[in-house]
Amino acid sequence: MTEKSTVVRLDGVRKEYGDTVALDDVTLEIRAGEAVAVMGPSGCGKSTLLNMIAGLDRPTAGEITVHGQRLDTMNETRLALFRRHHLGMIFQFFNLLDDLSALDNVALAAQLTGSSAGTARRRALELFGELGITDRRDAHPAALSGGERQRVAVARALMNRPALLLADEPTGALDSRAGEQVMDLLLDLNQIGQTLLIVTHDERLAHRCASRLIELADGRIARESALERL
Amino acid sequence: MSAVWTASRNAVRRRRLQTFVIFLVVLVCTVTALLSLALLDASRSPFQRAFEGQRGAHAVVTYDPARVTGAQLVAAGSGVQAAAGPFGQVIVEPEKGTGPFFSRPMTVVGRADPGGPVDRVDLWSGRWPQTRGEIVLNVPPQPAAEFRLGPLGRATELVTPDGALRVVGHAFTVSGSADGWVTPEQVAALKPTGTQMLYRFTGDVSTRAALDARLAGVTTGLPGDALLAAQPYLVMKEKAAATPGVYLPFLGTFGLLGLLVTVIIVGNVVGGAVISGYRHIGVLKALGFTPRQVVAVYLTMVSVPAVAGTVLGTGLGLLAVRPVLSDTFRGLGFGEQSGVRAWVIVSVLVGVPALVLIAALLPARRAHRLPAAQAISAGSAPRRGRALRVQRALSGSRLPRAVSLGLGIPFARPARTALTMASLLLGVVTVTFALGLSDSVTRIDEVGSRSSGEIGVRPYQGDQHPVTGRSDTEIERMLRDLPGAARVGVGVARELSVAGQSEPMQINFVRGDIPEMGYEDQLYEGHWMTSDDQLVLPTQLLNERGLRIGDRVTASLDGRWTTFTVVGETIRGLPGPEGAFATWRDFPQLGPQAYFYQVQTAEGTDLAGYVAAVRAADPGLDAWDNTGGDAFGTMVAAFSALLALLLATVAALGVLNTVALDVSDRRRDLGMLKSIGMTPRQVVTMMITSMAALGLAAAAIGIPLGLGAHRLVLPLSADAAKIRLPEYVMQVWDPATLVLLVFSGVAIAVVGALLPARRAARLTIAQVLHNE
Repeated sequence: MTEKSTVVRLDGVRKEYGDTVALDDVTLEIRAGEAVAVMGPSGCGKSTLLNMIAGLDRPTAGEITVHGQRLDTMNETRLALFRRHHLGMIFQFFNLLDDLSALDNVALAAQLTGSSAGTARRRALELFGELGITDRRDAHPAALSGGERQRVAVARALMNRPALLLADEPTGALDSRAGEQVMDLLLDLNQIGQTLLIVTHDERLAHRCASRLIELADGRIARESALERL
Repeated sequence: MSAVWTASRNAVRRRRLQTFVIFLVVLVCTVTALLSLALLDASRSPFQRAFEGQRGAHAVVTYDPARVTGAQLVAAGSGVQAAAGPFGQVIVEPEKGTGPFFSRPMTVVGRADPGGPVDRVDLWSGRWPQTRGEIVLNVPPQPAAEFRLGPLGRATELVTPDGALRVVGHAFTVSGSADGWVTPEQVAALKPTGTQMLYRFTGDVSTRAALDARLAGVTTGLPGDALLAAQPYLVMKEKAAATPGVYLPFLGTFGLLGLLVTVIIVGNVVGGAVISGYRHIGVLKALGFTPRQVVAVYLTMVSVPAVAGTVLGTGLGLLAVRPVLSDTFRGLGFGEQSGVRAWVIVSVLVGVPALVLIAALLPARRAHRLPAAQAISAGSAPRRGRALRVQRALSGSRLPRAVSLGLGIPFARPARTALTMASLLLGVVTVTFALGLSDSVTRIDEVGSRSSGEIGVRPYQGDQHPVTGRSDTEIERMLRDLPGAARVGVGVARELSVAGQSEPMQINFVRGDIPEMGYEDQLYEGHWMTSDDQLVLPTQLLNERGLRIGDRVTASLDGRWTTFTVVGETIRGLPGPEGAFATWRDFPQLGPQAYFYQVQTAEGTDLAGYVAAVRAADPGLDAWDNTGGDAFGTMVAAFSALLALLLATVAALGVLNTVALDVSDRRRDLGMLKSIGMTPRQVVTMMITSMAALGLAAAAIGIPLGLGAHRLVLPLSADAAKIRLPEYVMQVWDPATLVLLVFSGVAIAVVGALLPARRAARLTIAQVLHNE
């Protein structure tokens, strides 16, 4: 395996919050096109791991390399620029801006990179078409269903064609039908080559979408296994 | 109650920034309110305060010593609350040559000390006369440095036909009981022509009729012709009302603006603090707090910083207001009355916390009625998008996205935006008005100081000094040749009989640079003289004589009737008694002592040095520094700047509070924006843009309002002082100043937004996004 095909590399990563050790000596690699699920009981360090990889938090020790760049040495501005161009994030509670329409929420990600409003909206409309929510383009988030909101959030995450898509409990706030739709969506994305890292409690989601499972316990990797997709 | 206290204490601890903002806003608002109220109080009744401070005389009465004895006067006390006297009184005629300030008869009274039950004279410099040959002059208090340089400060003796009196001090009486005081022995030696009694009456003294009735009570039983003259205090009060009138409306307007901004900002900050705590209110209700306890928690939470801010603000305000009040009273000519009255302190100590409580109570009462579940969901459940159309338009614009997002923020919370806008608007109006006022006062000052010529020069006339050997033209040439002289004007004052008028009129025949020294700039009607049969009159003289521009004045000039035409009206005449201006004529019969000179120096010239040079060049010339005469104008300008700065600070604190609340409300949005790649700088740009846009809007509305206020208030204040202002004084605005004002509106907003915006940029995304 070449360094170029490795999208994420963590080497001896440790994270402490005061006296609490959230991650302890975590070393892992995620290769391009992989779909990896991270599972474990509450407080095991799943979200902390995701935050480290997304550059939302800094490790106490160890190295984090994503898409060939060391995140642990970057300042806030470089981290923001890195996220803008190379990462997409999906959250449990969608995190859409209430004051913007669905289309403008998605276009925003491209506009922050300097794209014109027209270009950003055209790209957003493409994604709306691919995700089947074109008719909801002008709705504001409060008028969308949970599933629709998460689709809008996925569209926003894909806007800048990220090297890595990070999903934090993407079905956690959805009913089963909407959850299924989102799972299908993630699976489709991975099948066309999108690298995925999913943090979840939902075994069905992990088994449906991921090809590898990392189980955390007390901040350490307790087990790694390949998954047969359902 | 302990649960309420515990919850309140925790709320204060948890919301440190908001608590600090409330504390700071209340502190600055308290200082502003105290300053405003104290000045409003001072501006409403400056004479009354000074009068009460000195236990002024309701009547200054002169009796004929030949008709009534001192014992009789002391015994006649019907209706008298307190009396001082009898004091010997004499009118002395100062010898010519002791300077232009001793040119009129002076009332001199013999008093052993400045105190007593009535008319406690303010001895503000030197000491009281102790032996014969000493005198204290009645002069309103002035800053020592300025006074020493002026002509009165340098007058060391008063020469009378009965001998010279050495000036040993300066004192001030608001009752106007004397022009100077000597020891009782000295006044006896001067052969007093009157006996002075000073009375404070019981009962009504508010009108002349009432005072006459009180006075009649005293004089009943005394010989009928014993009363020579009585001066009721109302005369001094009326005289005093005309002098400081020009500044009082300015002070009053500022005081009102200060109070208004205080109310709006406190309402904004405190109301916002309670509204942003709705979720916490829901949690408290879910825990079992009764609605009344919830309201108590919130009132306690805002009361802690409010009380601390009020107490500290009152202390700081008292420190700040002392020199301002002191200068104000000094400027108004009433001596030093720097104490803040108790009602002002009590009003602030009670009023500001009450204001805070009312501002907190209104939204807290809404929280009182809010169901717990609804309160808890506040801020977490998706809101229906507000101002979607605005956001859509902005997102399609060519502006950088951080800027367009920032521009949309004010539309999301219209009520909060309106309150912030109100405080910004007031800030901009105040800064605009203050700048205009300050510039206008500076121009009035400039005209005054330019036209009084900075340096005054007059040949000595008495025996005490050598007589100059130079002619008027030689003196003028000498003054022009001295280093630093920029302009020199020469005048000669003649008192001329005027046909159809009972009193003579003073006409100042001038030459040299007099028009360029500011007198021509002061014209607000007509023009400067272009021929020797024309006159320009100050407004006061014009009104006194019932003249108008175009009228003719026929005066007896050296035995010949000469007709002049009034061609111009100006604010001020030359220093001294009001006189008309006429072009120069030669008066060969007059000696050099009849002429006076005014010198304007080049910028940066050492005035004391120039004065010394004049005296060294010709010991027969008296020279003095005329500047600093209108220290009150400078004080008003300085005070305007101080209050504008305070109000701008308060407005900026209002913005700080709004942005802090916005950041708190939008933590999730900010975290999301950062997660999709918004840089810290873009976050700061967005938050600052949101307020800068308001600042710009406030400037667009506030500057015209401020200009209007300036246009309205200044002429009103001039009317109060019975003067008119030339257009020159009003035209203080230029494009650069207006740009500066627009910048001030934006600057207030940006400065206020900077701190919370930077805080937003440092927000920990992980924590915000995962802790829903």
